[in-house]
Amino acid sequence: MTASRTAAAIAGVLTVLLLQATLIGPLTFPVPVSLPALVVVVVGIYAGPGIGLGLGFATGLLADLGSDHPAGVLALGWMLGGLFAGIVGGLATERGCRTRAVALLAAGLATLVSLGVGLLFAMLGSHAASAASTVRYLIPIALVDAVLGLVVVPPVRMLLRNQGIRTPRSTATVSRTVSVKPMAGGYAPR
Amino acid sequence: MRKLTRRQQQASAALSLIALLFISLDFAGTSLAGAHRGATGALGSLYRGTDSVIGPVRRFIQGVPDVADNRSRIAALEQQNNDLRRQLAAAQADRATAARLGQLQLQSTAGGWSVMPARVIATGPGAGFERTLTVDVGRREHVLVGQTVTDGFALVGRVVSVYATTSVILLVSDPSSGVGVRDVRSGELLLAKGAGSQPPLALPLSDNATTGIDVKVGDHLVTGPAGQTTFVAGIEFGVVTKVSKSLGGVTSATVKPAAGQSSGDLLGIVLVTPRDSPRAAVKPDNN
Repeated sequence: MTASRTAAAIAGVLTVLLLQATLIGPLTFPVPVSLPALVVVVVGIYAGPGIGLGLGFATGLLADLGSDHPAGVLALGWMLGGLFAGIVGGLATERGCRTRAVALLAAGLATLVSLGVGLLFAMLGSHAASAASTVRYLIPIALVDAVLGLVVVPPVRMLLRNQGIRTPRSTATVSRTVSVKPMAGGYAPR
Repeated sequence: MRKLTRRQQQASAALSLIALLFISLDFAGTSLAGAHRGATGALGSLYRGTDSVIGPVRRFIQGVPDVADNRSRIAALEQQNNDLRRQLAAAQADRATAARLGQLQLQSTAGGWSVMPARVIATGPGAGFERTLTVDVGRREHVLVGQTVTDGFALVGRVVSVYATTSVILLVSDPSSGVGVRDVRSGELLLAKGAGSQPPLALPLSDNATTGIDVKVGDHLVTGPAGQTTFVAGIEFGVVTKVSKSLGGVTSATVKPAAGQSSGDLLGIVLVTPRDSPRAAVKPDNN
């Protein structure tokens, strides 16, 4: 991983967490919409499962430590979300799906991640979550995620296509040995 | 569908284990309390800084659904505010009216007169005079021409015209008004003449009186039994502020009227001057 990619990832993670805490969370209350989960999924779709799981784990762990619930829950949930998005996202990128289709796919996956995380919180007895409320808000979460996806997908795609932060493509070197055989008449090979 | 490489499979398994380890550690005890504190402190500072920038935008967006509701609420509150202001003004007017009525009642009781409260409904020239007031009582309330008008304490004027429901009052400050007054200290009888916007002048009753009159600055003047019209006697007229002598030797006194000519919208018209029983004559003591 190059330094520019690391810096871009850290900046992206912090930006998404700050936007979640100061804008998305308060605006969508009481529906527990998660912008970081959506961004992790979109990154996973475009960048693959390796980057998806890494970004999901790092973002989730930071969010876990910055809150009062047990650390590791969001890390596990978002990591699995990024991983799964990377696996199934191959189809979308291979078929060249447009923004709306990718946003819809990302919204579905992010909603599943929210469901899983919510149920995990309920199992652990977190004060802010219960299985019933998680299920009740599932459709609103999906709708808001779909709308947010339309906003999130283009910049994430553009950022990942940027040469400076893209994974260097592996290049093949073809070497050919040309044997020179002197010809009669003094002609040299071209 | 993408397939996971061996390294990705190993990484996902390792990270899952680490996440579960974190959950176990944090759920079981306070092993990660320091990490929580550090991350919370760092992120909290960032949240506060970001909120100072994004907060106004968020509040604006949050307020958009309530715009119409707020508009109707503002209109309702403005209406309520106007009503309360009106009630406050009415209450203040009521208090002033009650105070003036109380004064009229006191004067009526003290003088033994019947005083008819009268509200001023117009001011300005009227009935051929320069300074008059029109009040909302008239013939129907038994008001008669020539009756004395007070503000509950001092003399205001006299009735010069009476209609069915209104009356015109000539103010004592009108240049054509003349009031017979008496100096309370010396008993001197004087004629107080109105001077428009200037303070009234108290003159000797006789124009050719060249002898001095006993009037001093600070003397109180009350309505007396002399003058061009008959006023109820004993009503405060004013205080002497200046005594001067003309070239012809006639002494005059400048009087500050006790009644404010523009203050108060409730006056009292003294309807009758009772004299139920004749004053007993002072008889020589034979003893």
